[in-house]
Order: sequence, then C-alpha cells, then structure tokens
Amino acid sequence: MTKFTNRNGLSRRTLLKGAASTAVAAGSTTLGAPMLWAQNIKDVTLRQFGTGVSNLNDVATKVKEDLGFTLEMTALDTDSVTQRAATQPNSFDIADIEYFICKKVWAAGNLQAMDTSKIDNYDKIAGTFRSGLLTPTSTIAQGTAPHTVGFTSGVNGTDFVQEESGWMTLIPTIYNADTLGIRPDLIGRPISNWSELLNPEFKGKASILDISSIGIMDMAMVVESMGEYTYPDKGNMTKEEIDLTIGIFTEAKKNGQFRAFWKSFDESVNLMASGEVVIQSMWSPAITAVKSQGIPCVYQPLEEGYRSWGGGLGISAALSGLELDAAYEYINWYLSGWVGGYLMRQGYYSAVPETSKAFMSDDEWGFWYEGKAAEGDILSPTGDKLAGAGEVRDGGAFLDRMGSVVCWNSVMDENQYMVRKWNEFIAA
Amino acid sequence: MEPRPRSFYVLTAFFTVFILFLYGPTITIGILSFQGEGGGLTFPMRGVSLHWFYDLFEQQAVGDIWGSFRRSFLLGLMVMIVTVVVSVMGGLAFRSKFPGSNILFYLIITSLVIPSILISLGVGLLFSQSGLEVHWSTSGFGAQLTWTLPFGLLIMFAVFNRFDKSYEEAARDLGASPWQTLRHVVLPIIAPSLIGVALFGFTLSYDEFARTLLTSGSYNTLPLEIFGMTTNVTSPVLYALGTLTTVFSLVIIGVFLCVALIMNRRKSRQASDAGKGDL
Amino acid sequence: MNKLRENTALKGWLMVSPLAAVLFFFLVLPIILIVIVSFWRATEFSIIPAFEFDNYAFLFGSPVTYTVFFNTFKYALITWACTLLIGFTVAYYLAFHIRSLTWQIALFLLCTIPFWTSNIIRMISWIPFLGRNGIANSALLSWGVIDEPLEWLLFSDFAVILAFVHLYTLFMVVPIFNTMMRIDKSLIEAARDAGANGAQILWNVIIPLTKPGIMIGTIFVVTLVMGDFITVRFMSGSQSANVGRLISNDIALLQYPSASATAIVLLVTVLITIGILLRFVDIRKEL
Repeated sequence: MTKFTNRNGLSRRTLLKGAASTAVAAGSTTLGAPMLWAQNIKDVTLRQFGTGVSNLNDVATKVKEDLGFTLEMTALDTDSVTQRAATQPNSFDIADIEYFICKKVWAAGNLQAMDTSKIDNYDKIAGTFRSGLLTPTSTIAQGTAPHTVGFTSGVNGTDFVQEESGWMTLIPTIYNADTLGIRPDLIGRPISNWSELLNPEFKGKASILDISSIGIMDMAMVVESMGEYTYPDKGNMTKEEIDLTIGIFTEAKKNGQFRAFWKSFDESVNLMASGEVVIQSMWSPAITAVKSQGIPCVYQPLEEGYRSWGGGLGISAALSGLELDAAYEYINWYLSGWVGGYLMRQGYYSAVPETSKAFMSDDEWGFWYEGKAAEGDILSPTGDKLAGAGEVRDGGAFLDRMGSVVCWNSVMDENQYMVRKWNEFIAA
Repeated sequence: MEPRPRSFYVLTAFFTVFILFLYGPTITIGILSFQGEGGGLTFPMRGVSLHWFYDLFEQQAVGDIWGSFRRSFLLGLMVMIVTVVVSVMGGLAFRSKFPGSNILFYLIITSLVIPSILISLGVGLLFSQSGLEVHWSTSGFGAQLTWTLPFGLLIMFAVFNRFDKSYEEAARDLGASPWQTLRHVVLPIIAPSLIGVALFGFTLSYDEFARTLLTSGSYNTLPLEIFGMTTNVTSPVLYALGTLTTVFSLVIIGVFLCVALIMNRRKSRQASDAGKGDL
Repeated sequence: MNKLRENTALKGWLMVSPLAAVLFFFLVLPIILIVIVSFWRATEFSIIPAFEFDNYAFLFGSPVTYTVFFNTFKYALITWACTLLIGFTVAYYLAFHIRSLTWQIALFLLCTIPFWTSNIIRMISWIPFLGRNGIANSALLSWGVIDEPLEWLLFSDFAVILAFVHLYTLFMVVPIFNTMMRIDKSLIEAARDAGANGAQILWNVIIPLTKPGIMIGTIFVVTLVMGDFITVRFMSGSQSANVGRLISNDIALLQYPSASATAIVLLVTVLITIGILLRFVDIRKEL
C-alpha cells in the first residue's frame, strides 16, 4: 500500500496515531467530564460497601446513567463495616466509612491515599475537613476530628499528617451534627440539656445506642452536662475517666432508667415511633423516618452542643488502572452535586455545599441549610412529607448546628479498655 | 373405637393454644404487612393495602432482597442434595462397625451441639488465615453442612436401626447383587425418610443465620440480608417479605408432601409390599 | 475372614469419607484454630501470633464473665423447664390422642412451618406484639384486666425466655414424639388391665420409656440456648447479655483472640454439660 506522506515526513498513520493519543490524553486529564473510553467503562464494576446511611441504590442507578459503569452497593451495620474495611481488602473497591473507622483501620493498609490534585472540587470542600476550621473563628471540637485523620504523607502512607499534604485518606462526602431525639408530645416540656437523658422523670423510657465508639461520646456529654465532671478531651479519655463515665450509666441502668438499647437505626425508629422510649440518642434520618409516619419527633438542639461525625469515600489499595480512574471519576461526580443534594434533602450535610445547592430548590436550600422557615411542603428524596410550610429545621441553620459541635465520634487511645468496660455495662 | 377420654379435649385445647403461640408472630407480621402507605413497623395500623407487596418487587432504598433470596435458594438446594447423599452413605456405613466409627459418631454429635458462633468464627479464621476468600458457596456452604449433616445422619441412623434386614436377605437369596439390592430394595423402603432429610436439609440451610454470619463473604444470604436491612429499613416491606417467605415455605412443604403422596400411590398401584413391613 | 473384615473397614471408610472430610475441614480444623488464636494478641484491626495467657487471665478475672455465664445457665435452665413441660404435653397429645398417621404428620408439619420464617423477622415482630402499645397490652387494657401497660412484657428476661421457648420447643417435641411412637402399645394396655388409671400410666409407664427422648430434647435445647446471641440481644433490648453476646461483641470489634478465648470456655462448658447428660442415655441405642 502506498504510504501517504506530507511534506513534513509524517505518514498519515502516525498523524492519526498522534491525534488519537492526544485525544486520549486530553480525555483522561479533562476533569469533571466522563470521557473515558466509552466501551471499556461500561464493563467496569466497582464494589462499594458502607452503612445504609449512604449506600443507596438510587445513587447506583444515577451512576449508571451519568457515568456508564456499574456500582454494586452493599449495606452493613457500623461494626461490620469496620470489620470488612480492616480484614477483607479484596472484597471491595470503594469504602464508604466514617472518619473514626478510618482512624482504626487506616494502618491496616487496605486503602490507598487519594491525590487531591485530581479532585476538581477540592477547594470547595468545607473547611472542617481540610483545616479543621468551619469558619476562621471556629474552635476545633474534641475527639477524632476528621481533619486529624484526613491526610497522610504519600500514596502508600500509613500515618496521619496534620497539614493539607495533598494526599487524603478519605474524600469527605457527608457529615452531620447529632443530638438527642425526643417525643415532644409525650414529654410535654422543653428539653435543653444532655443531662435529661438520665432524668428519673423518664425512668424506663430512655435509650442510648449500643455502639461503643459513639455511645461513649453521648455518655460523656451527659456526664458533663450533669456537672459531674469536666473532660479535658472527651475524645481521648483516661482509664479513670472511662470508669467514671460508665459507672454513672451502669448505676442508672440498674435503677431501670433505660427501656432498651439500640444497635441499628431501625430499632431506634421503632422505639420512638411506638412510644416505648421518649428520649434517646438518635440519628437524623431516624427522626425523619418517625416524622414521616406522622408522629411528632424533634431532634432537640441542646445547650451544651452537638456531637458530630463525618464520613467519606476511600479507595481500595488493590485498585489500579482503568478501575482506579473510574474510581476518581466516581468521586468527582459524587462531589459535583447530585448526591450532595440527595443527602441534604434527608437532613445530612454535603461536604461540598456549593455544588449541592444547584440540585436543590431554593425552598429546600433555605430550609435545610439556612434554617429558614419552609415556604411549601418539604419532601424527602423518596417523596414523603417531612415538614410543612412555616416549619423550621430542628436546630436551625448549618452554621448554628455545625458551629455548635463540641465533640466528634472518636477512637481513643484506651479503646480496648473502653470496649471492655462497655461490654460490662451492657452485661450489668 | 374407644370414646375419647376427657383429657383429650383438655389436651386439644392446649395444643390449639400452642399452635396459636407458635403462629402469633407470623400472624402479626401478616397483618402488619397489609398496611397502607403511611405504615410503620408497629401498631396501630395505618390503612389497608397491598402497597408493600408491590414495593417488595421494586428496588429497595438499600439492600438486594432478590439477589440474596436467589443465593439462599441455591445454597439451600446444594445443601439439601449433599446432605441427602452424604447422610445415606453415612447411614449405610454405620450399619457395621468399622474402626474409628465411635470417634466419628461423637464428632457428629459435637458438630450438632457446638454453638453456631464458634463454627462461624472458626471457619472465618481458617479462611482468612490461609488467605482464601470467604464465599457463600464455599465457606458458607461448609459451615451450613456442619449443621444439617448431623440432623440427616441421625435420622438415617434411626431409620437403619429399625430397618428389617430380612428384605435384603430375601433379595440376596433371589440372586440380586449388592448394588441391585440397594437400588431396588433399600432405597425405596427408606424413600419417605429421605424426603424428610431433604426437607430438613433445605429448611435448616434456608433459615440458617449464625453459622453463615462470618462465612458468607461479600454477598449475603437472605437471613443475613434481612439482618443487614434492619440497619436502615423502617418500612413494612420487611414484613411483606416475611409473609411471602412463610407462604413460600408452605408451598415447599406442600410440594414435598405431594411428592410423598404420589410416590405412595404409585407404590400401591404397583401392588408391592414395600414399606408395609409394620403390618 | 480377615479379608472380609478389612473389606468392611475399607468400604465403611469410603462411604463416610465425604462426611469425614466435611467434619474435618469445617469442624475440627476451625476449633483447633480457635484454640490457637485464643493465645494471640490483637490490635485495633489485626491479630498477632503470640503465646500469652492474657485473654484467659482477663476473662477469669472479670466479674462480668461470671455474671454472664450465670445468666446463660439461668436462661438455659428456665427455657429447658418450659420447653419440657410444653413439648412433652404436645408430643403426648400427638402420639397418643391422634389416631391416624396422616393427621399426626399433618399436625406435626403444622408445628414446623413457623420455623421457616426467618428468625430475625419473627423476633422483630414480637415488639409490636408485646410493646407498650402492642396487641397484648391493648387487648389486656380493653378487657379491663390491667390499668396500665405491662412493661415487663418486652425488653426483659420474660421476653427473652418467651422467645426462646417459641423458637426451641419444637426441638423438644420431635425427639419425645419419636420415642413415644416407639412405645409398645401393649404395655399401656397391660397397665390398664392391671388397674392403673391415666395418671399412673403416665407416671409409671410412659415417662420412664420416654426418658431417652427427653434427654435428647434437653441436649438440643440447652446447647441452642447456651450458644444463642441474637435472641438475647433483641428481646432484652440489648440490656442483658449471655456468653454468645460477649463473643459476638468481640468479633464485631475485631478482637478475635479474646473472642476465641471466650469461645473456648463456652465450648468446654457446653461439652461438659453434654457429657453429663449423655451419661443418662445411650444415644446409639436409642436412635
């Protein structure tokens, strides 16, 4: 076959090759647009696991629509999530875990650090996750704050560094401020302190969650609110402090203060909806679930402040090549707003509020983020009515809630001791 | 016919209460699964509809019911077949004493009474320490077998203990080879018990939770999936699932019963005496 | 003659080889591994081979262990008593008062069907049944039997025992029923001819002959209750614990060595209990 050469000595073939490779290079570096090899990407399957909070099948469906590859979701309870992240590295590609779990399992080496230069919306991530400061004048709350376990030294780093090193352990996606949930109709008076959980008035009608890392923080908030003790760092207690905290609760338990403990989200909804319990630790979607059954339930802002948690996506250390690229695509897409909007309409906060705003109506943004009164009905992403016109979100605006966070879900140095003590509490 | 003693009526009443007690939760779930759209997981009921049954067939917010159902069903079949085959072979072997049969027997009893969580933990550790992947069709399968095999074997032991050897002798006298004796004399006689073993094998596997907890790998069986769903499902769709599962089980038992009845009828049609040794 | 004996041994072993294989890989090896791991050390997320008695030392040194084991035995004993009474009565009814075999099988099957609904779902549904606003309380309130909802129906020891009895009575019914069916009816007739009334027949003839069935049922129920962890958690609202709970808590937190240590202690306890029970019945004869 005759070779076509132009005056510069390039053959058409090399020209085509060059053009193709340039296009490919452009495609892979054009961030934010799903431009990977169209036919290959459809064959990629990423396996994600996490708690039911964000492992939603709707997300997987949208990923297939927008990005083309398949996302397999598996939802587990918090403890199983920890277990899988630590011990079954070959069973997942994407880990959707909380920051305190990250602190526990990062050193196992099953996750790889992520290059922040590949993340488009990195600069729009809320300050809490990068510098630890929500606003320049915020104070950093006690406990395992996400930014303390958010950065590492390099792609295979197993340590945590305290500055924005360019390598993140997890890309933050979701967080919220937790407090006590109450049945205002059954209590009948205002509640404003954590100490009310152990108020004998609610004997036999209180509950607390049976997940040690989180429950101990709630316990600490109550103990401090009761004036029994002030902790230098609730998120890192000494053995004596642990004994003190758990001792107070064990006594309350023996006096019949608690109706039951819950380990899974749906148990907490049941307890509240059926009226078995009138005051308990709760998670935000549980409040909305109870409300959507038409039962009054309030996520009560308390004087002493909130306990907060944050979660993010991590990538398996075993991922490479096309699948790794797909994973970055996914993460970028995750932060680009659709998922953020979905999560915010359930009451969570997206780690990148700006992009989520575009996927929410003005009324919704006003209600969920700015703490304004709703103008029309506020619906959940699945269509249930959560609030009517004129109602204000429990706790108000984002800055009010997240600004009043005093501690994070934590893993303390004395964790194993704490767990043993916790077991004793349950068995008492 | 003797007249019924008074105790009969007392006991019948007791039995009825017992059955109600057994079915109480199942009936409660049944009622709750017919709730209307606004329903929750507790009483009082909100409306009456088939809404949640329709919802069951659609994609859930979280979890994969049908995938895990498929896996449970497949696993149940696998366990059922292996249990029947191994139980028959074991039963036949144990008819005569062979060296080590005592130890094996006590191992079988141990397998039965050992707390399930130990099997789960042990098998999970075994696989993880040897670097193998934990998967429902390998580790989960094996863990469930430790539960179903003892049941199957004990039933087979009981059956063979009461088995009348004279049938086999008669067959041998007539010139049958051991294999023919097995196929045409022994198996037909123990066939009803085999159905029992198969039913047990399937049931125990389908409902098994504790031993599969750590051994099923990334993909859950149905009981595990349901357990996982309680983390974030607060709608009666869970109850609709429970009701349907019960109905499914009733259907399976019905199928097994029909098979037994048909086999019986075919046997009597052939005017054979097999299985009527008690008369 | 020797050749024949060898042949039987070989044939026997060939036939049980799949069984032996399964038992070896999925019973014997795992237990050995648990024993080994119980001497290891653990960090937050991994386990380190070692040989130390720390786990056992902690286990025997903690008062919680004794409370928990006591709880376990308590549940086992009470459940056993209840299931025995109920199971015996039901089996007696099915064996002696139901005349036709078809009815016996039909009623028997009727008892087993609830077995097929997932344990988890069955347990969850006790809550609407027993709760403050549940069916039981509402019914009692509307009949005027009580003034306020009974709190102890749910999230209490009562609820735990109730759930156990519900789940495991069947395991008592089956062996007792089985043994009863094999009682020679002529013995009962003889007793009646000798002038015994119903109660005397029951006490002097039927019960002694049913002892093996009772023993087998006891073994089932006791081991199942001792090994359970889910039922206790759900029905007591996580407020009380038994040994299974200790183990599952440890497993959830990746503390495999201490879970293994607890597991071994549980296993030894169970085996001792079974050993004692087996003294009263020779299983191989009774099958």
